[in-house]
Amino acid sequence: MLKLMKYEFRKSASSKLILLVLTAVFELAFLGGVFFKGYNLMGTGMMFLILCAFFGVFYIGLEGIMTLYRDLNSKQSYMLFLTPKSSYEILGAKILENGISILMAGAFFIVLAVFDLTVATLCIGGAKELMDSIRQIMDIRLNIKIVSDAVILSVFASLVSWISIVVIADMAVILSASVLAGKKGSGIAAFALFLILSWLFSQMLNLVPAFDNMNLTMILEIAVSLVLSVIFYFISGWIMEKKLSV
Amino acid sequence: MNDMENVLESIGVTKNYAGKAAVDNVSLKLETGLVYAMLGPNGSGKTTWMKMVAGLVKPGKGEILYKGKAIGKESKKEIAYMSTEPYFYSWMTVADVGRYYQDFFEDFSMEKYHQMLKRMELTEELKTKKLSTGMMAKLKIAVTMARNAKLYLLDEPLNGIDLLARDEIMKSILEVIDPDVTLVISSHLVDELERVADAAIFMKEGKMVRQCMVEELRSSEKKSVVDLYREIYGHGGEELC
Repeated sequence: MLKLMKYEFRKSASSKLILLVLTAVFELAFLGGVFFKGYNLMGTGMMFLILCAFFGVFYIGLEGIMTLYRDLNSKQSYMLFLTPKSSYEILGAKILENGISILMAGAFFIVLAVFDLTVATLCIGGAKELMDSIRQIMDIRLNIKIVSDAVILSVFASLVSWISIVVIADMAVILSASVLAGKKGSGIAAFALFLILSWLFSQMLNLVPAFDNMNLTMILEIAVSLVLSVIFYFISGWIMEKKLSV
Repeated sequence: MNDMENVLESIGVTKNYAGKAAVDNVSLKLETGLVYAMLGPNGSGKTTWMKMVAGLVKPGKGEILYKGKAIGKESKKEIAYMSTEPYFYSWMTVADVGRYYQDFFEDFSMEKYHQMLKRMELTEELKTKKLSTGMMAKLKIAVTMARNAKLYLLDEPLNGIDLLARDEIMKSILEVIDPDVTLVISSHLVDELERVADAAIFMKEGKMVRQCMVEELRSSEKKSVVDLYREIYGHGGEELC
């Protein structure tokens, strides 16, 4: 499994490296702005760092789906399916590598944001006042308190939800490849299947009861999303094992 | 032929693509230690049948048993398949291909791979996406034959290989011959295969139309494999099906 994961990582290593280089460039711009009081540069750096964080995490998941599509609909599928590994291991390695990459990227950008905020606060002091103002406005106008654990939970819930979407998309790609075997229109069929499966997934997620405690509801939704993702993974693995021809 | 000697059994195997049978009710047995020539024109079902044995394609009907068990994870440990098409990841170099096989196949010998590369005049730093058809064919043979597999399935191994290199390649392929090892080689070059094959399997329009031992064919029917090939696929071939 680890060897499969190593090659899955290798397949997406170039784009991850590009993301890392871009992040480093914008981070330097941001820090340069902070240290030399160049607020335009700092603002630009910050804006692009936020874009890197959102699109980076999004793209890592998307690339996982695209790699699976390519692996099932081209001759490079032989590299996977000639090996003495079960379909569950092959798919499991893909999902795990992709899930870990998404979580790691998410964690990396959170740590970077905390670091940048701390540096900015220490160097120019304005950031803290800005955050306090935002906090006060929200307290007064919306009666919402920014609680750190709720923020962390929301971010984690977003990452888990993105992993679930990737698992659903993987299943759509596998179903399409099993039925259409790489024929014309398999991409469109996979997208249509993705919409249907996503609807099904959301219907099942809607069955989770809402509690007064928002955090508890969120934890339950995360747990149910993870369980459903595992169920979807096993169904996808079974389809690959029994029905998929490459 | 008793069951103990059969390494592989194909029982009523059928595979349809868009309603058309690519492989149609193929039943055959492969005996351990023999070299089989799998013959037939394009579209006769050779490649699809091999892919089913390799576990890449799932049969619609019937089953394939390797050493008495269904094709799967265990059979893949002992079956080495060389496809006609290139299938390596585009980012790979020749060295990466070797490392990949070493990572996944316990029977892969890096030493043998290096010897094969040297013989095929391939260098490790070459990018697979930049290889010519002939070089790619050589790489596929090198990496497949560097495995110490029990059953080799070579689909058109001489495709794209120039005349001068063919003998060297056939020599490399035949080096694995052993009482424990079975080889199935498909090729359009019937006379080339006749020299090395112990048995021949004739495929036509998805069906297996004949399986015979080469020596028996020569002694009892006074025919060569080439003669039988002409008979089956040339004039009058329709009557045999």
